[in-house]
Amino acid sequence: MDIVMPYKSGIDATREIVQVDPGAVVIMCSALGQESLVMEAIEAGATDFIVKPFRGEDVLAVVKKVLGE
Amino acid sequence: MATAQDKYLSIFVTEAREHLAQLEGELVRIETEAEGPFGLPLWDSIFRKTHSVKGSAATLGLTELVDMAHAAEALIFKLRAKGQRPERGQVELLLQATDTLARLVRRAAEALSAGAGDALPKAKAEAAPPVTGADLIARLAAAAQALPDPQPAQKLVRAQIKAAIDPALPRYRVVVQLSAKCQAPGARALIVQRKLKALGTLIELEPPPAQLMQTKGAARLTADFATARSAEEVRLACASVPEVEAVEVRPEAKGVVQGQPATHGALAAPAATAPVALATTTPPRGTPTLDAPELRPDATVRVRADALDQLLDSAGEVLLGIARLREASRKLPEANAGHFEAEVDRLRRTARELHGKVMNARLTPFSALTERLPRAVRDLSHRLGKEVDLEVQGAEVELDRAVIEAMGDPLSHLVRNSVDHGIERPDERQASGKPPRGKLSIAARRERDRVVIDIEDDGRGLDGQALLRKALDSGAITAEAAGLLKSTALVELAFLPGISTRTEATDVSGRGVGLDAVQRAVEALGGKLSLRSQPARGARFTIDLPLSVSMSNLLLVQVGGEMYGLPLPRVVLTTEYDLSARGGEGFDSRSVIVGGQWVTAYGLAKLFGLPSLAPPGPRPFVVLEVDGITFAVAVDRLVGQEEAVVKPLFPPLDRVRGLAGSTVLGNGRPLLVLDPRGLAEMAGVQKTAPRPARPPVKGAA
Repeated sequence: MDIVMPYKSGIDATREIVQVDPGAVVIMCSALGQESLVMEAIEAGATDFIVKPFRGEDVLAVVKKVLGE
Repeated sequence: MATAQDKYLSIFVTEAREHLAQLEGELVRIETEAEGPFGLPLWDSIFRKTHSVKGSAATLGLTELVDMAHAAEALIFKLRAKGQRPERGQVELLLQATDTLARLVRRAAEALSAGAGDALPKAKAEAAPPVTGADLIARLAAAAQALPDPQPAQKLVRAQIKAAIDPALPRYRVVVQLSAKCQAPGARALIVQRKLKALGTLIELEPPPAQLMQTKGAARLTADFATARSAEEVRLACASVPEVEAVEVRPEAKGVVQGQPATHGALAAPAATAPVALATTTPPRGTPTLDAPELRPDATVRVRADALDQLLDSAGEVLLGIARLREASRKLPEANAGHFEAEVDRLRRTARELHGKVMNARLTPFSALTERLPRAVRDLSHRLGKEVDLEVQGAEVELDRAVIEAMGDPLSHLVRNSVDHGIERPDERQASGKPPRGKLSIAARRERDRVVIDIEDDGRGLDGQALLRKALDSGAITAEAAGLLKSTALVELAFLPGISTRTEATDVSGRGVGLDAVQRAVEALGGKLSLRSQPARGARFTIDLPLSVSMSNLLLVQVGGEMYGLPLPRVVLTTEYDLSARGGEGFDSRSVIVGGQWVTAYGLAKLFGLPSLAPPGPRPFVVLEVDGITFAVAVDRLVGQEEAVVKPLFPPLDRVRGLAGSTVLGNGRPLLVLDPRGLAEMAGVQKTAPRPARPPVKGAA
């Protein structure tokens, strides 16, 4: 999920998702320089994050790691 | 005598400066972020830095520094415990304390450079308390006194956690190595922290995630951890976090005495074994620990800036030497030349690589320039009765050190300009339907081999038409030239010397003095300054800079027996023209035809008041282009082309018009590099509409 989205921020959305399903896996995607937002998102319950620009294999690597636990 | 003391003092000065610079930024941030999620870690960091300055000053006997830092620390301690947004006056006091500390550090540094042997006693003697110091300490103490005594602080909480942990629970030291590719170590550390908290009791995590927020790349986290789970479970949990390179879970020794021999053993262990231990799984008890210094994968060392400059100079010299070698090889007999040239080429490639690596080592993050801006913007806007939010993006973008150094003044000038002229007072803003707080954003980004910096505000903007009227009235441009300007480029008339839409001057950014200086500074680095603005909507200055400026291609020309360099990127072409038939060598300006266009030509010798030594007859002209203005200069001789490390001129030479910098040629001769824009200004080149010539008489490439 993107951190910056129209209507609702990714951080708020994460908070709501985790409230509904505490086991939900949420991977944030952020641009460089948004680190404080990423940290907020993680405090809000995001499982992991990936920084733009990324390649397909980067996404795969994160998803594998996160689901492989 | 006291060389060891001097060394410590010099380390202290470097570190204290860094701490104080960061402290300043953090104090400005705490004003708005105290009640946010990072308020407490930010206070912690502020406290730690003040404390660290105090501690190292104490070991060096710099008592005045200690007193000041101590007074500041006491106030910080109480403010942190309170956890609320500090008052403006309190932050003001702390900022003043930071300033005073910086002054004291500077004095210690001066004492250090003044005398080798007696540096320290001198530093102490000179640190006689200035009036403001004692006064400030009293005010800090009063401010601290006014605050309630803190509730049990963090440290106590931590102690309580430690005490509350079941002593039977196994304790571990968990060391997590984050990959160098890690884009956001702070966020990564937060994930590791959460993992650990889910498995047991996390007593301490060093460094705290918030502290890693501004950093990039590899980081090492050390956790003090108590859990009933097995070490392997803990290790696997941490290893499942992306971008975690290695994890070590080491059972904590029960007592200090027992733990120490293992550490000592590790330090003595061969360097090669330690990283292996880290990269594999949990090492059994007693194996080398992570405390071994060689484990840091990207250890850094401090290198003096001038050492890097010298290294770059030498790398440049090597390149020049190779160029001369190639030149010399042309005189070799055919039979030997081929092999020799191939070897020289190979050498040149290696030397270029070396040069590139040195350039890389000199890269400095943009944050070096922006670190002090929050404070400057805060102070300035308060003084002007304005509210300004500053936002900095891309602080991690790296630029050559020379660029960073040269951009300091221009950047702060643009920022001052925005706060002073651009952003309106809150009442004015509200009257025009804007939020009362103005916004100023500075964003740096890398675009291939260039770095682009945008300085944007949402203030009153510039009025292009008004600037045009001013420029026409003052005769800075002709009506003909004005007709050629695009409407969006009208605001860039503000770059002309002496042009401003403001009628009254302020002591902050003066009147119309400066934007031309900013433009000159940017162009001296081979960059470009542009401006886009709409009245009432704000303004955006864009600085487009090369990543590194040190190496430039020069066209060497000879005039009046002297050699000069012209930056090759500005040279359109060179041509030959015979003026002797038309009356003269000592001409002021002449029109010549280049590529079917009339171009005004000036004698370079005449511009600099030098004798022209060229014999009558055809002579070379260099056609230059600056900002769409094409003109030609006549020279005596074209000498050749050379790659050189151009250095800025030092005062008073930097005030001489028409000069951009200097360099030293391979043969050791100094060379002045000319500034085409300055030449155009000296000659009074007017921007004129291109007018087609009759069939060209002579034009060459």
